[in-house]
Amino acid sequence: MSLFDNYALDKFYDEMFSSPGEPRPHYRSLHAALSHLSPQEFKKRALMAEASMVNQGITFTVYGDDLGLEKTMPVDLVPRIMTHDEWERIERGLIQRIQALNLFLHDIYHDQNILNDGVVPRDLIVNAKHFRREFLGAKVPRDIYVQICGTDLVRNDSGDYYVLEDNLRSPSGVSYVLQNRMLMARTFPQLFRENRVMAVDHYCSQLLTNLRYISPRQIDDPVVVLLTPGEFNSAYFEHAFLAQQMGIDLVQGSDLYVEQNIVWMRTTRGPQRVDVVYRRIDDDFLDPLTFRKDSSLGVPGLVNAYRAGNVALANAVGTGIADDKVIYAYVPAMIKYYLDQDALLPNVPTYLSCEDAQRDHILQNLDKLVVKSANEAGGYGMLMGPQSTKEEQNEFAEKIKSDPRNFIAQPLVEISRAPSFVGDTDKFEGRHIDLRPYILVGESISIIPGGLTRVALTRGSYVVNSSQGGGSKDTWVLAKPIAQSQSMGNMSQSQTLGGMTRSQPSMRQPQNGANVMTQTQTAQE
Amino acid sequence: MLSREADSMFWIGRYVERADATARIVDVQYHSELEGAFPYAQEGDDPQRALWSSILAITGDDEKFAAQYEDNHIERNVLDYFAFRLTNPNSITSCVSRARENARRVREMISSEMYEALNIFYLEVTRWNVDKILDASPHGFFSQVKNSSHLFQGITDRTMPNDEPRAFLECGLYLERAEKTARILDVKYHLLQRGQAELNSPLDQHQWTAVLKSVGAFEAFRKAHRLGISPAQVVSFLVLNPNFPSSMCYAIDRAERALRSISGSKGRIPTNRAERLIGRLHSDLAFLTTEEILDVGLHDFLEEVQSRCNEIGIAISEAYLRY
Repeated sequence: MSLFDNYALDKFYDEMFSSPGEPRPHYRSLHAALSHLSPQEFKKRALMAEASMVNQGITFTVYGDDLGLEKTMPVDLVPRIMTHDEWERIERGLIQRIQALNLFLHDIYHDQNILNDGVVPRDLIVNAKHFRREFLGAKVPRDIYVQICGTDLVRNDSGDYYVLEDNLRSPSGVSYVLQNRMLMARTFPQLFRENRVMAVDHYCSQLLTNLRYISPRQIDDPVVVLLTPGEFNSAYFEHAFLAQQMGIDLVQGSDLYVEQNIVWMRTTRGPQRVDVVYRRIDDDFLDPLTFRKDSSLGVPGLVNAYRAGNVALANAVGTGIADDKVIYAYVPAMIKYYLDQDALLPNVPTYLSCEDAQRDHILQNLDKLVVKSANEAGGYGMLMGPQSTKEEQNEFAEKIKSDPRNFIAQPLVEISRAPSFVGDTDKFEGRHIDLRPYILVGESISIIPGGLTRVALTRGSYVVNSSQGGGSKDTWVLAKPIAQSQSMGNMSQSQTLGGMTRSQPSMRQPQNGANVMTQTQTAQE
Repeated sequence: MLSREADSMFWIGRYVERADATARIVDVQYHSELEGAFPYAQEGDDPQRALWSSILAITGDDEKFAAQYEDNHIERNVLDYFAFRLTNPNSITSCVSRARENARRVREMISSEMYEALNIFYLEVTRWNVDKILDASPHGFFSQVKNSSHLFQGITDRTMPNDEPRAFLECGLYLERAEKTARILDVKYHLLQRGQAELNSPLDQHQWTAVLKSVGAFEAFRKAHRLGISPAQVVSFLVLNPNFPSSMCYAIDRAERALRSISGSKGRIPTNRAERLIGRLHSDLAFLTTEEILDVGLHDFLEEVQSRCNEIGIAISEAYLRY
């Protein structure tokens, strides 16, 4: 009796198995370890892990009760594993992408060369929901528009990676990467001894370094704060966690005020000047004097202080323009335009309903395509063509015709699956997954190895969003095999483009302490 | 630190201490009732009601309690009111829940271990209700509350730097403790005066023992005063003893030190009204004698201490927490 009995691959690419019963080489050790566990033992560990999350308060509150009900975000305890080479290819593609996107944002808010040259249609930009014309010409510290980016990747049925979307406003979820790792290390410590997993816990120090880098005041100890909408926000745990790990203040709008274009926070020792705001509030709510008047979450005057160059915001105002799923379709063209390179990570083929011919194609194939509205997140505003009813298709056809700018369509990607524990059958079953790596941009670009693997825990579902019944699992990038790292030890990889130098993040090793070469090979530039 | 965070730290300290104090008081009361001592009853009183109403007097909740409960299960209702009622802002559940809410607001400021301890405290408390504890053991529940609050305070001691946030937490904690000790002593003394127990009778001894136990001071008191228990000795121990953690003098000393560390003022000159008020109260507790207190009248004295603690709390808030 093994948890893998009757494990079906179906027609999908399976992360663990190359064919039934045959684990891929980099999964062999994990497969062997899990095969020895009984369902009872696995369940016991899952309960232990969940109890630990409840105790630490890594939970959502479900309201309606006097005291509220605590729910954990589901964590699947079968990790997803990537080889070192696989990760390096992804990393290169992501770095290229964020370079192009940052250059694009700068261009859009300044010279607009890409529009003048007709590479991206002008009306797409000026009609975009998140375009901030107020920021045309505004100077952004160090010319970095996006400090933190979460780019969603999927694998198709042949195992190739595609970019599904970019999140350049305030992507969340990185706290789950760090928590999942800690949880796994506590729940299955022996697995870490057998696999050489690259560490991720330097994320917060790197983030803090980058935030300090954009401080407008060049002083030794700039004041960095994290601005949260408050404890009732669903991502509040993450906000508090990141602030705690960086040792910075977690502020709400009411803790800050602006006087003569300088941002101050109210402290027990009187006002203290703030240099950098890592804001986890959308543009719309940032400053009632500039954006939504009815919002009490933000800080009146913050935007003017920002325009005056007295405070830095991460991410910059107006980055949402590149979140737009219509603009996403142009990213490969941006890479070509700004970097003169071909995109290393392809987009999922995308049809734009604002283009007449493509719209006709969409309308005729609604039963085969996935339709998404341009600016929704969290799995909302979507039509999953192959799983939809005629009625839903008609409804979307009307929406598309009345607002063509606002929709795109993509063929359904048969995204890859990985084994997940299913409580009601006490077995592992394949579940669809995606990957959100977190890209940090500062003096250089760095990405912690792996990222957040989200799982569609509902049988047959392709939607991984937590708001739609998704969970997550730990993502392991294996360290370079020792022999390989020695032969490649003095190869330094660096690219300088558009003023941004890429260097790999420092790779601290897990417990086994081997493989010193990979740690040091990156510093030589 | 942010004023909002200082406010939260102050109240975390207060609420955890208040949950602890409430658990002690109700536990001791419950057990002295079990042991069958009903000294407070006057002619015509319902003895059980008379006993339990003393605890309502300690917290000043008589009217609110009467408005919320109708039936005659006074014991069950009092336990419910003090342990679980959310409409009672001072119930154990309310205090723990509000301490945790405040901790959530300053989560980045306290250690993960502190948050986890408080969160587990909260989760455990919410697993209970009055019928469950009457079925199992009220003492077991109250011990758990005491242990959880001590665990939290111990973890704080071990994992939080001795800096401003912790000073605010300690200010809240010790101010609460001083005030609660004053309050317990006041009400018990008042009821003893009103009861029928002869001075130094077994019943009288029993009641003073209960007072001492309710602040966890009985054994320490015994070591200091081996010959019986008199009001004067209890006053000297619970009000003026500078070394016992539950005594008012000790608690005010700690609160004052915490407050001084916030402003950094080391000398004798207070830098704000809160420091002036607490310094004055500390001097009184440090230099008064038992005889002087009894001359004024214990009740008047204790009432004055409570109102001074209250004023200090307001002054701290004005100096640091309002904005």
